[in-house]
Amino acid sequence: MKDDSVKHPQAAAEFLKDRAQAKWHDSAIWWVRQKRDAQAKQLPEWEELRRLAREIKAHTLSRLDEYLAEFEANAQKNGVTVHWAADADEHNRIVHGILAARQVKKLVKSKSMLTEECGLNPYLEQRGIEVVDTDLGERIVQLRHEAPSHIVMPAIHLKKEQISELFHKELGTEAGNNDPTYLTHAARANLREHFLTADAGLTGVNFAIAETGGVVVCTNEGNADLGTSLPPIHIASMGLEKIIPKLEHLGVFTRLLARSAIGSPVTTYTSHFHQARPGGEMHIVIVDNGRSEILGNEDFYQSLRCIRCGACMNTCPVYRRSSGFSYSYIIPGPIGSTLGPSRDMKKHGSMAFACSTCGSCSNVCPVKINLHEQLVLHRKKAFDQNLLPASKKMGLLAMRFLTQHPALFDLGGKVMRKVVPIIPESLTRHSAWSRAGRDLPPMPAQSFKELYQQRNQDKKDKEGKQ
Amino acid sequence: MSARDSILARIRQNRPQASALPDIHAVPFIRYDKQFEAFATLIRNLGGDAVQLQDGQSVASIVAERWPDAGRTVDLTVAGHEEVDDPHAWHDVDVAIVPGQLAVAENATVWVSHPDNQFRSIYFLTQKLVLVVPRASMVDTMRDAYARIQMAEHGFGAFISGSSRTADIEQSLVMGAHGAMAALVIFI
Amino acid sequence: MKIGLFIPCFINELFPHVAMATLELLESLGCEVEFPMEQSCCGQPLANNGDSKGACDAARRFTDVFQRYDYVVAPSGSCVSHVTHHYDWYIAEDSAYQQLKPKVYEIIEFLQDVLKVEKLPKPVYFPHKVSIHQSCHGLRELHHASPSELMMPYHSRLEDILKLVDGVEVLLPERRDECCGFGGTFCVDEPELSTAMGEDRIAQHEATGAEYIVGADPSCLMHMGGIIRHQGKTIRPLHIVEILTGRGAGA
Repeated sequence: MKDDSVKHPQAAAEFLKDRAQAKWHDSAIWWVRQKRDAQAKQLPEWEELRRLAREIKAHTLSRLDEYLAEFEANAQKNGVTVHWAADADEHNRIVHGILAARQVKKLVKSKSMLTEECGLNPYLEQRGIEVVDTDLGERIVQLRHEAPSHIVMPAIHLKKEQISELFHKELGTEAGNNDPTYLTHAARANLREHFLTADAGLTGVNFAIAETGGVVVCTNEGNADLGTSLPPIHIASMGLEKIIPKLEHLGVFTRLLARSAIGSPVTTYTSHFHQARPGGEMHIVIVDNGRSEILGNEDFYQSLRCIRCGACMNTCPVYRRSSGFSYSYIIPGPIGSTLGPSRDMKKHGSMAFACSTCGSCSNVCPVKINLHEQLVLHRKKAFDQNLLPASKKMGLLAMRFLTQHPALFDLGGKVMRKVVPIIPESLTRHSAWSRAGRDLPPMPAQSFKELYQQRNQDKKDKEGKQ
Repeated sequence: MSARDSILARIRQNRPQASALPDIHAVPFIRYDKQFEAFATLIRNLGGDAVQLQDGQSVASIVAERWPDAGRTVDLTVAGHEEVDDPHAWHDVDVAIVPGQLAVAENATVWVSHPDNQFRSIYFLTQKLVLVVPRASMVDTMRDAYARIQMAEHGFGAFISGSSRTADIEQSLVMGAHGAMAALVIFI
Repeated sequence: MKIGLFIPCFINELFPHVAMATLELLESLGCEVEFPMEQSCCGQPLANNGDSKGACDAARRFTDVFQRYDYVVAPSGSCVSHVTHHYDWYIAEDSAYQQLKPKVYEIIEFLQDVLKVEKLPKPVYFPHKVSIHQSCHGLRELHHASPSELMMPYHSRLEDILKLVDGVEVLLPERRDECCGFGGTFCVDEPELSTAMGEDRIAQHEATGAEYIVGADPSCLMHMGGIIRHQGKTIRPLHIVEILTGRGAGA
């Protein structure tokens, strides 16, 4: 559903054509960053919390296989069935297998970027299972046949007028009624029917506790809870990096997650699932899909600490002004721009360049991933694998040469300063520098090197005269 | 080799250097002098409310006063309360009064995990959720809470903070997404 | 104490007055300053586009040119941060570089930490409102100010150094440290986005009522200046050394 052939520069330029929409998108998401700041300010221990979270995750990754095994054993003791999927396909086959064996016709799903990554919805739909995304934002984009544009606020790219029009068409709401409360409650009524008639519920996993074999799902809406407390089947799909060692560690992560993600102290519901509901069954699907490979890469394994809060996107000035659809990978923004290229350099390499290296992302990350540095490291890969556009590569090689030959570099500068002022503006207007509304700087007559030499000469002359 | 074995083997091979587990109890966390005030102020911004039971009041009287025209009401805090044999049967509950085991000041959550409740669906199907919590069970932070909680309800337990919410439409906060439209915490 | 003046390539070509102001400021504070003519680009654009070999060669060259000085000073936080924080990616094992690294300073750092300037050599009266533009690399890599995302006490080198200037009124934009959108080759990789970011940043500075945008990174100032000129706006970008040497109002 997501167009993974988009290249960020072109897509961003397109998004910016509607400046009013782009400004609104930017300010709506900046507001979430501000709420995050306000929450963080209230806790004197905020930076220590980030350190603890980073260290807990770092430790877990260093013994990931042991903790996964412990988790599986404890889950099984609770009567939960644990499955392992090496890749996206296997995940989809396993989930379908569980549903098909029980003749499931309708599945309700709460938010799971993992299932987006695996392409679960189309897989199941092609095999005759109705899939209803129940998170309001996800439901909206599902009805629009779109991918989510943000991992926490899937419909942030939409105005209420667009949602009103959609609901009028799909749910029969009043035409032209844009009131968010009205629209939300219409969705509530509609989705309630789905919850009550669903045969199975699937959730993602925010945290999986090795010590207890349980999984934790955080929502504001309660959709994961309705989706798992009503139907008799609960499937929890998790990336294998979601493990944390002990229950007590949630005392750190639950304090960071919602504050970082939405600027609230906590999500409305922080639900802990250890067993199926009475009369039901519970399955956990542990998914690799490239994570164990990233684990072995010393430049990028830190990205596996991610708790999918989205704070990096909210602070990213590039994301806010280009939206999730400018990014080819299912997860956009800074974290997506390292996970995507790690998964497929050819397809997603351009994401690593969609960045001004401001570094704000790394500072908001609750688990202190060095996001902005990872992007530059991916650029290294892109260069080495010859994935840069030819013109750029030539420019860089020219620069490389000139840096080693300063006399030529200086000559080039002199030529630039002499020639640019006489090039007609009608030509320079379309250069990459100028084409979006930025003039070239005035060209000084002399470079500093020339001025300095002149100054020294003047000094010498003066001294000579004395 | 099964997927499990090949995944674990690959992880074993690739995992980064050993890194120490920190002591999460070594860092001082925020304390609240006025826990109830902190809790109540916060929950009122989250589509909920919090009160302390006064002399002459009962849970039932508080609920009746707040929602005089309540529909189907289920009170899990009293013995002999209604039971169902299917989680769907709670679908038309208007008010659910449930026991909470502890409350957390920093985020206005209540831990709900009730050994005598069969079907957790009631917490999420009800239109109005009333949580009855012992006054003395309030703690400052989630770290304190996790040291005390039990998964006492068929392997389930949840921290619940106020009413169900969403801001998915233009970041406008709306109460009553899928779960309860309103929440009331009564400290007894 | 001999100072090697490091003038980043684009400042050499396009902002010689900033370089000259830096030189004159240091000399007026009693420093012996030499400008090695054979210096070249620090290699940041190469590094930021993944050219490790080019970045490595540039790093070695820089080390060769500047290792003989007691201090190296530059009027650019971005380039200094590349030298002091990123050369380790390429030439960490080079002992000449390890010895050079702690001696490389951005100009404000040098004034505050080494010269410990408490008074300007020539008093400056600049009765104008200025909006501080704290550039990203100086902020988050050189720690010139407290980043707004981090929960720490507020501090700002730019605000502090401006206390030495008479009559100036210092203002902060609403989004205190949002990126202006220059980002190196990003500015030409994504012209529309880069320009949009710059427009927004300029609007934030204008909203403070300031007449000048003052910063320590000519790259940001060049980018914002280009947009300002294109739109015919009256707010003027200035480098901090221009104000400190009394050149500000003429700009």
